[in-house]
Amino acid sequence: MINLKDIRDTARDMLTKGEVRAVIGWQQGSRGMAAEPVVITAPEQADSLVWNPTCYHNLSLYLVNDKKAQAHSKQKPTLPIAIIAKGCDARSTVVLMQENYFRRDEVYIIGVSCEGTGVVDEHKLAVALQGAQPTAAAFEGEDYVLTLADGSEKRLSAREVMADRCLECREPFPKENNLVLGEDKTGRSLEAPFAALARFEQKSEAERWDFWKHQFERCIRCFACRSVCPMCFCDECVVDSIEMKVVPATTAQEKADRVRWIERSATTADNFGYHMTRAMHLAGRCIDCGECERVCPVNIPLRLLNNKMEREARERFGYEPGASIGASSLVASFRDDDPNAFIR
Amino acid sequence: MTNKRTGVFVCHCGTNIAATVDVKKVAETMALEGTVAYSADYVYMCSDPGQNAVIQAIKDNQLDSVIVSCCSPNLHEGTFRNNAIRAGINEFTCEIANIREQCSWVHKDRAAATEKAIKIVRSAARRVVRNQSLDSIAIPVTRRALVIGGGIAGIQAALDMANAGLDVVLVEKLATIGGHMLQLSETFPTLDCAQCVLSPKMVEVSRHPKVKLMTYSEVQEVSGSMGNFKVKILKKPTYIDTEACKICDDCSVVCPVVVPNEYDLGLTSRRAIYIPFAQAIPASYVLDENACLGLHPIRCGKCKDVCEVGAINYDMLPQVVTEEFGAIIVATGFDLYPQEKILEYGAGNVPDVLDGLQFERLCSASGATQGHVLRPSDKKEPKEVVFIQCVGSRDPAQHCAYCSKICCMYTAKHAQLYKHHVPDGRAYIFYIDIRSGGKGYEEFVQRTMENDGAVYLRGRVSKLHRTKDGKVRVMGTDTLTGQNVEIDADMVVLALAMQPSKGTEEIAKILKIGRDKDGFLAEAHPKLRPVESVTGGIFLAGAAQGPKDIPETVAQASAAAAKAIILLSQPMLSRSPTIARVRNSHCTGCEMCVDACPYVAIRLENGKAVVNEVLCEGCGACSATCVRAAIEVKNLSLAQVNDMIEAVMTV
Repeated sequence: MINLKDIRDTARDMLTKGEVRAVIGWQQGSRGMAAEPVVITAPEQADSLVWNPTCYHNLSLYLVNDKKAQAHSKQKPTLPIAIIAKGCDARSTVVLMQENYFRRDEVYIIGVSCEGTGVVDEHKLAVALQGAQPTAAAFEGEDYVLTLADGSEKRLSAREVMADRCLECREPFPKENNLVLGEDKTGRSLEAPFAALARFEQKSEAERWDFWKHQFERCIRCFACRSVCPMCFCDECVVDSIEMKVVPATTAQEKADRVRWIERSATTADNFGYHMTRAMHLAGRCIDCGECERVCPVNIPLRLLNNKMEREARERFGYEPGASIGASSLVASFRDDDPNAFIR
Repeated sequence: MTNKRTGVFVCHCGTNIAATVDVKKVAETMALEGTVAYSADYVYMCSDPGQNAVIQAIKDNQLDSVIVSCCSPNLHEGTFRNNAIRAGINEFTCEIANIREQCSWVHKDRAAATEKAIKIVRSAARRVVRNQSLDSIAIPVTRRALVIGGGIAGIQAALDMANAGLDVVLVEKLATIGGHMLQLSETFPTLDCAQCVLSPKMVEVSRHPKVKLMTYSEVQEVSGSMGNFKVKILKKPTYIDTEACKICDDCSVVCPVVVPNEYDLGLTSRRAIYIPFAQAIPASYVLDENACLGLHPIRCGKCKDVCEVGAINYDMLPQVVTEEFGAIIVATGFDLYPQEKILEYGAGNVPDVLDGLQFERLCSASGATQGHVLRPSDKKEPKEVVFIQCVGSRDPAQHCAYCSKICCMYTAKHAQLYKHHVPDGRAYIFYIDIRSGGKGYEEFVQRTMENDGAVYLRGRVSKLHRTKDGKVRVMGTDTLTGQNVEIDADMVVLALAMQPSKGTEEIAKILKIGRDKDGFLAEAHPKLRPVESVTGGIFLAGAAQGPKDIPETVAQASAAAAKAIILLSQPMLSRSPTIARVRNSHCTGCEMCVDACPYVAIRLENGKAVVNEVLCEGCGACSATCVRAAIEVKNLSLAQVNDMIEAVMTV
């Protein structure tokens, strides 16, 4: 089990020694038990860092934000930035480096192993607590210990209230790291990989169509899924080309050729277009951190879409997103023995 | 956009299009498009009056862009772009809408086909609105040619190009040039000795000042494109200094390793250090490193000890040389279909069942038996020989679906040769039917039947096996008499199918050229471009492209050479400017396009993708890969694709 003190000491140490310019981690949030992402830059801030079952955010998103901020500053940083990374956070960091978004030496990865206890699903927890309000959550062996508003403690098996993505996680250990805290319990998936997808695929085609139609009718296009996704780092998304970023290099032709592939308004048809396009653009890149699904205010099970692409890539092409920085990306790589039976 | 003036020209192609598509309606509907200033149909747009009408219409109506809706752009894009130039507008503002191959030929319902044709033409019309006027890219040409494969095809192609003044490198995988033709005894239909006609050409090519021979070498890597290829060639170590070797044979006499001789197809043996055959070019010994006891004086070293001129060098290393060429001719030849796969004929395990090439070696004066036809098992003269045609060929269920084309002729030749060697012998030939198209071929087969008395039995042999008295029992059917036939033969010769040589698949991958369903190298067009591969600047010669006999192979080799000469005689090559273009504002430098590009035309510079305009073929793989829409093909921009999709989706 990870000792919080180790995380804080590591962060403090690195900032004191000036090895990194900042550490991306979690601190106690302002609302209830939930942690929130934080970027600390001074050693004394290290004591605010926390590690508990509500550290569900994929912090690699803040590496992307950091890089985008650099684009606007004249002074390029000389020191790397540190990130406290769970297995999933580390994998998406790998994909970002695979796509040259930043170099390996620009990032210091402090890996934290989830050790198979994962992070909490707040919907499941609310049901399990039957309305009681938790104020704090902590790891305890294979359980979560929750402090409730009335000061009492409640112990729940992590397995009961863990996020689905963690139940199906095959790699809770951050393989790509500069140092790592916690034990490697890789391979200890509590549910079969893609279990939810497999259950979903039991449905008939008509049922699935109705299901997605219902889901996409509800999408309000708040773009929370896109905003939370570290892979959605494009300055201009296919749905925004009406607001094309105009830079000095933008030619008149480019301005004239602006394409709006999908309307931005939330109609069912365009919602289909948006989500399908997003799923395609994440093929071979999504590492199933599940953040899009977690933040969706209307509870669209987006992992089903992303998992489908991930499983196709794995089964057809043996492709594992986020496995190696040097690997060629899924859609750009071709092998002679790639199956092509599905091309008709 | 509204100031655009597009002309639409709808071709009937006789009835090819007009029978299925209401061309008048297509032209009338297109006239209603906002950007279309002129729309017309004509029975044959590609005819002279048709072309003139296009030119006249462009001039009369001040058209700035043209859509010709006709056949595939593969056929007439050049024709109509040329018309655009003649009418005074940029050739790249002319596009083809294919309503024949992609519409009229594949549909029956006239109303639906017409509707589809309208959509195809409309999408092209919307596309062309955004077409830019472009200039072709001129690139210099490397005036050197590479020939891969040193058989008769490769030799002929190399000689033709060298005689036209080009520098040629001829790469051969084996230690000597010559190929399969060298293994043949006599050739049909004139029965002249194969070696006697081939060896002068071998000598000529080896002495030609413009030809550089690279034997025992293999092409490893090819980059670049038409006019400017960069090729890495691996020179395998022969462990012999070719210049020093005096061909005295002292080394092979002392060599303790005996292995089957490939040149004689295992009918004789050779040593680990050997010369492939007497007329080998280059005339030198080779040390077979796989057979040799160890390439080290401690392990054996007998050959090195005995070599007076010190030509043997155990430390010779493989060498990789990089050469530049403007054109490549692939002449990698054929192999026989493996006898092991023919289970009903003993899978190569029945003694005295030979393949056609082995029989050639038996008949050849330089062969295993010095030209006496003796069966391998007991070296006795076979008195009854059964020849079986179509072994592995024309058998889609189990083997090759295609006809190997040369077997009817060489089997007839085998029967003649056998009868000339063993006048009192009997030759039986099992055949399905006789295919003897070719000058003097039918007469040759007739001679085999009438003069040499070969017994032609129409039917398949169901199986064969060895009898106790050392004969081969052949069980077949004569379908003309309806009777079963059983022959106890002294020897059986199988006319095995031709298949692409073993390295063909690999070389096709290295060169990025296609293969057909049978594995032969694919020509660009089965009728009109039979010696060109689908990749520009790479030409095909010989049996690597499909089964063919020697005259056809030589003709194709000369044709391929002519194509290469045409290409390399141009001072500058004109390349299409419709290549990829990077939108720097969108590029994040993820390198996906770099990996996706089959032509290695994209590299990363300062974190942005950069397209090499010489290498780019405009295939669009990069554009399809880029999730950020940061790379697109000129005149097929994302905006154009969007407009085209919209045009097709609009009812």
